[in-house]
Amino acid sequence: MPDVVFEIAAGWATLLLLVGGALLLRAHDTLERVLALDVLVVILIALLTTLSYVRDVSYYIDAALGLALLALTSTLVAARHVIRGGAF
Amino acid sequence: MAGLLLDIVGAALLALGLTLATIGLYGLLRKPGLFDQLHAAGLITGPAIVLILLASVATRNLDVITSAVLLILFLLITAPLSTQAIAQAAHRRALGDQAPAIEDEADTAR
Repeated sequence: MPDVVFEIAAGWATLLLLVGGALLLRAHDTLERVLALDVLVVILIALLTTLSYVRDVSYYIDAALGLALLALTSTLVAARHVIRGGAF
Repeated sequence: MAGLLLDIVGAALLALGLTLATIGLYGLLRKPGLFDQLHAAGLITGPAIVLILLASVATRNLDVITSAVLLILFLLITAPLSTQAIAQAAHRRALGDQAPAIEDEADTAR
């Protein structure tokens, strides 16, 4: 695989990350912000994955796995906070 | 020959995944309500990221492919969980105080 393809993909993912930041700034209420952060994390995972393809090492995908775990926890806790007014 | 085929498949998967993510983000920016936005976000957190991770076969690096498969499994389990948590929170908040503790789906259907 020519490296150019992976580099273009990484650039594309970076642009998507910028659009996701705009989405976070545009959100009207708490839950839309939580959703925007969730989507931002997934785009960041895509960026880390393409970066891992560019450099041909697997560490970036492992970091993305930890990030996905943190994103799941934070989303669940934030949604619970909206319902009950407290995290637990 | 097989290597070239793998390259083409990898590039196609990567391009398709990134295109789906772009479409999903466009939908997120355009749709007004939270539930419609959840619909568009499901495109990014589901198929798009899975396709991008599947493109790891083109690297021919076993470490990368293993990590990618693990991440695919994790995301396939957790993405619906977080989407459902957000939707449930929005649903409960819209119902307000009149929402019963658990059986609110059955009550609103009546």
